[in-house]
Amino acid sequence: MNDLSCSRAVRISDVRDAAERLGVLFDTHYDRLYRLARRLTSSADDAKDLVQDTFLKAARFPRSIPIGARDEEAWLVRVMINTRRDEWRKTSTRNRHDLRAFSASPWEPGERSAEAALIARTTVWQALDTLSPRRRAVVVMHELEGLAVPAIASLLGVSAITVRWHLSMGKRDLTHTLKPRKGDRK
Amino acid sequence: MNDLRELLQDADPIRHESSTFLEPRETQRRSLLAAASSGEGRAGAIATRRSRAAFFVVVVSITILALFLGNRLWSPRIQDVHAAVRFEVRLAEDKPGPRLREAKISGTDRSIYLHEEVVVTNSDISAARLIHVGDAYAVGIEFNKAGAKKMREATGEHIGKPVAILLDGQVVMAPVLRSPVNSSAEITDGFTKNEAEKVVKGIVGKT
Repeated sequence: MNDLSCSRAVRISDVRDAAERLGVLFDTHYDRLYRLARRLTSSADDAKDLVQDTFLKAARFPRSIPIGARDEEAWLVRVMINTRRDEWRKTSTRNRHDLRAFSASPWEPGERSAEAALIARTTVWQALDTLSPRRRAVVVMHELEGLAVPAIASLLGVSAITVRWHLSMGKRDLTHTLKPRKGDRK
Repeated sequence: MNDLRELLQDADPIRHESSTFLEPRETQRRSLLAAASSGEGRAGAIATRRSRAAFFVVVVSITILALFLGNRLWSPRIQDVHAAVRFEVRLAEDKPGPRLREAKISGTDRSIYLHEEVVVTNSDISAARLIHVGDAYAVGIEFNKAGAKKMREATGEHIGKPVAILLDGQVVMAPVLRSPVNSSAEITDGFTKNEAEKVVKGIVGKT
């Protein structure tokens, strides 16, 4: 018998022990969520706060969480991205750095000092702040987590075309932001 | 020029901070469970909002109950007619059988076979609420005492089989029962906000 609860993300049930389930959710998904959160934020502290806020929302709406590890993960990831989006909207202006202020271009070839490498890494990571959280999530899932487009689409609940579009635009924006400009010091 | 992927991988903080998140994990777990149960710490504000929301729900529920009782006293038996959205739950089967009616699940090609008896209707609902789930919206339903009893009794012997939820006569979903349903249910059928609000108002409201 097909379980429609999984295939259509619907369910009808009583959640008898929400705290216990929350604990299981935390144990099952914390590491995965933290890694994504860290890649969506500028600092480890921001990532921890984002994960905590995500689980707190799960605690507030225990009956909204679908059953099954994959559906749970998708639900938590979407909540996390939406939470991050709210935060990003508030701080995006402040966080849109003038990347030209950094003296080490991330594109610069050859050997670099440790300091220059650190600045280059920071420059790249700050460039990600210019992307919306959803676009950023698509980029990091594809480029850093190695997920295929259909898997990302399934996780985010959007079409593969949408994922490809976000991926293409995200990479274009990042390349544009990080591209050495006239007057930048090499 | 380096490849963008290589740049991102080189800048990936997970590579450079690989173990920093493991240490506070237990601390976070404890604070989360404490916050979820008692509303302390960071969750205090959320818990406060939850208390206010709970108070609001109580006030709204009392109002709805008063309207409901008033309506029943004034014109008994017309509650279901006045509901803008006719809500029904019926037990269902995957295979045809005697006294079963075939019905298509909305938005799919799948058929199920409905029992004749209606388990609960609008009059068995005490409240309905809008739930925001990621990018989608769901409808949460709270059954009243009589409704919860009917659901418990009907679904308790139907585990592993589908139960159909009908809105205005259309089967909108037919999840397989994993456990008996008692006091609440949720319909998360990919509603837009407007659709979910319409269902919420329609289920408990009057035209």
